[in-house]
Amino acid sequence: MNATEASTAPMIEVEGLRKSIRNGARTVDILRGLDFAIPQGQFAAIMGASGSGKSTLLGLLAGLDTPSSGDVRLNGTAISYLPEDRLAQVRGKTIGFVFQSYQLIPTLTALENVLLPYELNAGETQNGLARARELLTSVGLGDRFGHYPVQLSGGEQQRVALARAFILRPPIVLADEPTGNLDSTNGEHVLELLLNLNRKEGTTLVLVTHDAVLAAYADRRITLRDGLIVSDEMHSDADVPAVME
Amino acid sequence: MARLSYRSAARVAAREMHSSRGKFFFVILSVAIGVAALTGVRGFSSSFRATLLTRARSIMAADVSARMFEQPTPEEQKGLDEIAASGVEITPVTELLSMASSAKTLDPLLVSLKAVDPAMYPFYGTVELAPVASLKSVLTADNVVVADDLLVRLHLKVGDELKIGNKLFHIASVVVNEPDRLSGNFAAGPRVFISREGLDASGLLAPGSRAGQRFLFKLPAPRDGSAMPDSAVAALRARLEKLLPEARVIDYRETNPALTQGLDRATSLLSLMSLVALVLGAIGVGMAMRAHLQQRLDTIAIMKSLGASSGQIMKIYLLQTLLLGLLGGVLGVALGVGVQMAFPRLLAGLLHMQTEIHLQGRTVLTGLSVGVLTTLLFTLPPLLDIRGVRPVLILRRAVEESDDPFVSAIFRKLRKNGAQIGAAILILAGLAAIAATLSDSTMVGGVFSLGLVSVLAVLLGASALVLTGLKWFLGRTRLSLPSVVRHGLANLYRPGNPSAALLAALGLGVMQIMTVYFVQQAVVRQLHITSAPNLPNVFLVDITPKEIDGVRALIKAQPSVTAPAEMLPVVSSRIVAIDGVAADQAKLKNFPKRMLQSISLTWTAGVPPGTSAVAGKWWQAGERSPVVAVNQRDAERLGVKVGSHITFAAQDSRFTATVVALTKADGQHAYSRAAFILPPATLAGLPVVWYGGVHADPARVGELQRALYRAYPTVTVINVAQALETVRSVMIQITYVIQFLAAFSIFAGIIILASSIAGTRYRRIKEVVVLKTLGATRRRIATIFSIEFAMLGLVAGVVGITSANVVARVLLHRMDVVFHWQWGWSTVALVGTAALTVATGWVASHRILGQKPLEVLREE
Repeated sequence: MNATEASTAPMIEVEGLRKSIRNGARTVDILRGLDFAIPQGQFAAIMGASGSGKSTLLGLLAGLDTPSSGDVRLNGTAISYLPEDRLAQVRGKTIGFVFQSYQLIPTLTALENVLLPYELNAGETQNGLARARELLTSVGLGDRFGHYPVQLSGGEQQRVALARAFILRPPIVLADEPTGNLDSTNGEHVLELLLNLNRKEGTTLVLVTHDAVLAAYADRRITLRDGLIVSDEMHSDADVPAVME
Repeated sequence: MARLSYRSAARVAAREMHSSRGKFFFVILSVAIGVAALTGVRGFSSSFRATLLTRARSIMAADVSARMFEQPTPEEQKGLDEIAASGVEITPVTELLSMASSAKTLDPLLVSLKAVDPAMYPFYGTVELAPVASLKSVLTADNVVVADDLLVRLHLKVGDELKIGNKLFHIASVVVNEPDRLSGNFAAGPRVFISREGLDASGLLAPGSRAGQRFLFKLPAPRDGSAMPDSAVAALRARLEKLLPEARVIDYRETNPALTQGLDRATSLLSLMSLVALVLGAIGVGMAMRAHLQQRLDTIAIMKSLGASSGQIMKIYLLQTLLLGLLGGVLGVALGVGVQMAFPRLLAGLLHMQTEIHLQGRTVLTGLSVGVLTTLLFTLPPLLDIRGVRPVLILRRAVEESDDPFVSAIFRKLRKNGAQIGAAILILAGLAAIAATLSDSTMVGGVFSLGLVSVLAVLLGASALVLTGLKWFLGRTRLSLPSVVRHGLANLYRPGNPSAALLAALGLGVMQIMTVYFVQQAVVRQLHITSAPNLPNVFLVDITPKEIDGVRALIKAQPSVTAPAEMLPVVSSRIVAIDGVAADQAKLKNFPKRMLQSISLTWTAGVPPGTSAVAGKWWQAGERSPVVAVNQRDAERLGVKVGSHITFAAQDSRFTATVVALTKADGQHAYSRAAFILPPATLAGLPVVWYGGVHADPARVGELQRALYRAYPTVTVINVAQALETVRSVMIQITYVIQFLAAFSIFAGIIILASSIAGTRYRRIKEVVVLKTLGATRRRIATIFSIEFAMLGLVAGVVGITSANVVARVLLHRMDVVFHWQWGWSTVALVGTAALTVATGWVASHRILGQKPLEVLREE
């Protein structure tokens, strides 16, 4: 999907977002006032050097952290100051999260890991099984339903994490360096899956990355430096590397 | 590789501690609680025991007594002088029967005279007088102090005069309580106290007079205020038995076997509680250090990747451990001393006695060294694990978490790692050594150590079995189970989850807590039985066969009597031969030959109350052949055993009885004073006098005395109510202290277990973050963890409680106390254990559940 086809209604809105932390006697300003909106269906990459605040921003977008000031709205709902249980419900139904280090539950099988958001938010296990199996198969793990994370390679674990992120067809997927721990082959595969899901399902995708090649696939690149947005560019299909076509 | 100096290692260790003060507080607290329980329990029980034993000694008014019928020979006197020179105090007590009369009645009265040196007697306890005064102040050469029974019989009052021998004495006071009444002879005649000068002036002591002499001995008290060791008492006794072969030497423990048995059991139980406190503290330390080192894995991996060797890293953490152990030990000792000081105040309302607390350097030092030693011992396994940490861990942490939580991992580790085996053996040997040193009872120390090893083995085996079974069950029912149940059970197999270690720790902790509870409950129950309020406290002497039925009827009609009377018939006899050897040539051990001339025999069909057969077998009802049951102690002195033959002479008849049983009495019943018991048929037709014991309301004994005197003036009433109250109150006090200290130990144990569970919370933080990200509410997360904890608690509870019942049974069997499997309390404890683990998990995780996930991660 390109920028012109994306809906104009903002799926993610950020207003005056600030985040500071105390480190002993010092106060460290991580984010120093961000304002932007991401429309529905857009694929946005958040870039920046190490320490620029991109992972912190992603955490705030997911409601995993509390801003020092400002707010985040997801699909019209302001989330930053919601009570934790209410926020968990919003997250469960609205966001799919892909961690850099996969963060699968080690005691659950691949199938159970994918099923978990369904069980937490939607309904009975039996009803979600078909979708979970379909997703795992679609990411190439149709023969690994009963494997535990420790029995899977890094790439396979990340694919399970992807399937988990998409089981509830969330309107938003947030991914924190999803290919950071993977080799190039696996990284490309994961990216392909993400892009397919973005295009087919119309999911709004926000990706934190320092990889320019990865960012090239995004509809929009937001670059952070020292806690501020220094550039916010839309891009055209001409920017997409040839290898993916 | 450069050597890491201790100084540098200490600097690194201290810096690390400084940066995570909160976490280290956990470890220090675990050590402190264990040491505090140990110091407090031991310190207080030692002081309490010293106080109790002083009261127990009041029943004899001395540590040791030697009863003689003749004056000591010059050689014997020399020996006694040497004993006195060594610091032992000695005072003579002369007892004899005499006639006493007053101007108001013409008929003289047979009285039981007791001549004492009031400046020395009694060594323990107090002679209570009415009006209140000290014996020393009233018992002058011209005064006597009498039992109220005498006043009743002679129609006298305090201030009147009483003629004894050649002299007229002034009745200065009434004896309300004679502390050693129970250990004296229950001779006919009311008691009269007279000074030694008074006795000399009365002219009663002439050559040939039948006065009995008792020497009372008191050992010098230990300077540190601790209880006199029984070994010192036993040594003095042995010395006296050798010095005075014709004397009957006994120590205070024999005067009331029930009391000393109660004290012995209390000692064993208190030793047990000290040991339990020790191991519980060690468990807390082990769990806390394990959790601490788990969190340090990244740091350790980084240090290794920078070139540090395992030995260098172990040095850092060993120093850290030593410091933690020392800090915990110091804090624990301070807490323990505080507990020791607080106990008497807390128990003041119940104990009704002043317990003098003596802070013993030995106890403090023991607590400190035990704290450091157990910290080191229990930190060894996780310290040794440092050698297995690979630097690559920091690069591939998410994938490499393959720490198999199954118990099989432990065995796999042991197989691969000889040092771990060595550490395990060292821990067990170290604990056993500490147990043996700490325990005042080698029996308890031995059983405890063996029990510990056995329980650990059983726990590990049971844990393996249960976890394997659970996994099998999960594998087969996985997707059919509700997701929270599946998730909760699956968490038991979380890589790095110390399920096996936690199960073993929990199970061991539960086992120890419940063992303390079961044992103290059984001991206290036994003590209550032994100190039952209806035991005889008034003894009746010299009831003729014609009077016995009338006396029984009178007693039954008395409102002050609260239990049926215990009556025993007594036949006066003498021993003529033992196993065919004439009495005057028999080899006796501290049994005066003269006593062979006045032996009291009694009869009963079955085993009398308060008496038990410790060897041989009692006769069947209707036994007609001449057999005899002999008191164990007297049997030793006479040199008889089961199968021996004793020839008795009573009046004109003579018969030889075979010893069929040796007996032991609790000292609380009328039959306790019977040394020779025969079946009725053997003594049929012989002249008999009856003795009896009744329980009367102590405040109304006078009523009973007057009623008996009016109807049967020749029957002597001996009031030992006060003396028995001493015994009873000591027993009750023991029970209070035991229960209090048990509750304290149990409470400390629960805290330690809770902190061990809470220490595993770090492992859960990341999972909570993921679950929240995926949309799990706090309730859901709490439910998942609750199921995990509840399962842990149930498994540990079943194994621990079963083991506790078994260990308690073994211990109580050795203490000679009955034990029944405790189904009710076991069930309560099982539910309690599961509830405790769940509650602790909630409390520990509460903060994590309520906060934003990344805030928590940041703080951690």
